Amino acid sequence: MRFFGKFIKKNYNPKTDSDVLFSLSSAYLTIESKMGLKNSGRCALSLKSISGMYFNEMKEDIKRFLDISKTDFELSYRTVTDSYGYLWIILEGKRMEDLLAGISAIGDTVDEKGFSNQLLAAIFEFTNDRNKKQYLIYNYKRNTFYPFVPLDSSKKLRNTEEEMKMMATIGDEVPLEGDMTLWYPLWDLPL
Amino acid sequence: MSSVSRIPSWQRRDTGLTVRMILSFAILALLYVVFLSVLVYIGFDIIAITIIASLLLLAQWYFSDKIVLWSSGAKVVTRDQFPKLHDMVERIVARNSLPKPKIAVVNTNIPNAFATGKGGKSSVVAVTTGLIDILNDPEELEGVIAHELTHIRNRDVLVITLASIFATVAWYLMQFGFYGGLYGGGMGYGRDRNNGGTMIIVIVVAVLVWIISFLIIRAIARYREFSADRGAAQMTGKPVKLANALMKISGNMRRVPTKDLRQVEGLNAFFIIPAISGSTIGNLFSTHPPVEKRVQKLMEMEASMS
Repeated sequence: MRFFGKFIKKNYNPKTDSDVLFSLSSAYLTIESKMGLKNSGRCALSLKSISGMYFNEMKEDIKRFLDISKTDFELSYRTVTDSYGYLWIILEGKRMEDLLAGISAIGDTVDEKGFSNQLLAAIFEFTNDRNKKQYLIYNYKRNTFYPFVPLDSSKKLRNTEEEMKMMATIGDEVPLEGDMTLWYPLWDLPL
Repeated sequence: MSSVSRIPSWQRRDTGLTVRMILSFAILALLYVVFLSVLVYIGFDIIAITIIASLLLLAQWYFSDKIVLWSSGAKVVTRDQFPKLHDMVERIVARNSLPKPKIAVVNTNIPNAFATGKGGKSSVVAVTTGLIDILNDPEELEGVIAHELTHIRNRDVLVITLASIFATVAWYLMQFGFYGGLYGGGMGYGRDRNNGGTMIIVIVVAVLVWIISFLIIRAIARYREFSADRGAAQMTGKPVKLANALMKISGNMRRVPTKDLRQVEGLNAFFIIPAISGSTIGNLFSTHPPVEKRVQKLMEMEASMS
């Protein structure tokens, strides 16, 4: 029933992708102060690559945009294509606002070029005091966030307890994926 | 801001529980009165049945712990047999100034725990060996034991037994009415047709009473589960540990996927609309609230603490 409710909510969810994304601009402070995690200044957007002129054109557009805005946003970037055939645009910057602006601008460009179906996820990286990584994953199809805390990626183990803590910490501030069966991990991130 | 209002609501006294208890019993008592009035109105002799049902219930109450222990195969264990378990229970009861209950262990792989008994020292907290195995983090086991200790503190066994009185009485009357109606209707043919009609009324009313009280008992039981979770969170101060334990016990841990998002993306997993699995009806009839709901509430407590 809960599942069903989520669907109804999604269909009538007036929030756009960037509204949901930008909810992180205050929520990350909550994560830092309440959980003792630090935003590592790294985030990434991934989309499924397809071959073809238009997709490459879009790629070039994104790169050009990021090159131009380097000075405004103080962002550095690199791109990686992983073994699944997903293109990753990895941003690095000092301020969360810049990272969010960057991610959402890239998303807009992808959308404008008609490739919004290729968008997979945006990932925000946090580290704890022992330099262990914790992630918030934004799923474009669901327009929600969910936590992902890898414990041992070779054994595909995740730390559900930390994930639930993350969820509890920012549950009021960020639209979260209520259905835990959709908390799909992203192993071996190229971040 | 006063210091009182900053205490998260779940740490305060659980007035909701008391209110609901009184309300539930008031509704049950009203049902009972209405039911009796109907019976009196149609001139039905209920004394015998009421006495038998009451005696049965008294016996059920008096022997409840023994019945439960016997039927579950739980064995009361000494400190020598399970020293760690005894230490753990003692730690929790000492911290919360509760009497120490007896500790029992059920030898089965199915992870579970329950509490029984009439309260105080005669109560029993039972855990299965499967539970001890699956909860490798001692704090998780502590959460589950605290949950059961809260059941004892809240006298949940008594409450549920009392609540079932009405349902049980209605059940007996329903059966009695059914057979009475059958034979009464058959044999009374030509002599007293009216008798069959009244029997049908009795059956209908009894069925209604039984269904309603059944649902109310379920509602009370479910609310008491939430209360016990809350009590456990207060006792241990670590709601997240109990939440994690619940996820493990219910097998929900396995529902958090390990398959990579990039692998499932092609399968369009996000567009499959799940079948409505009758969960609404399931909710009405189950005594335990869904684990997701309980985990969610525990995480809200966790969030209010940090």
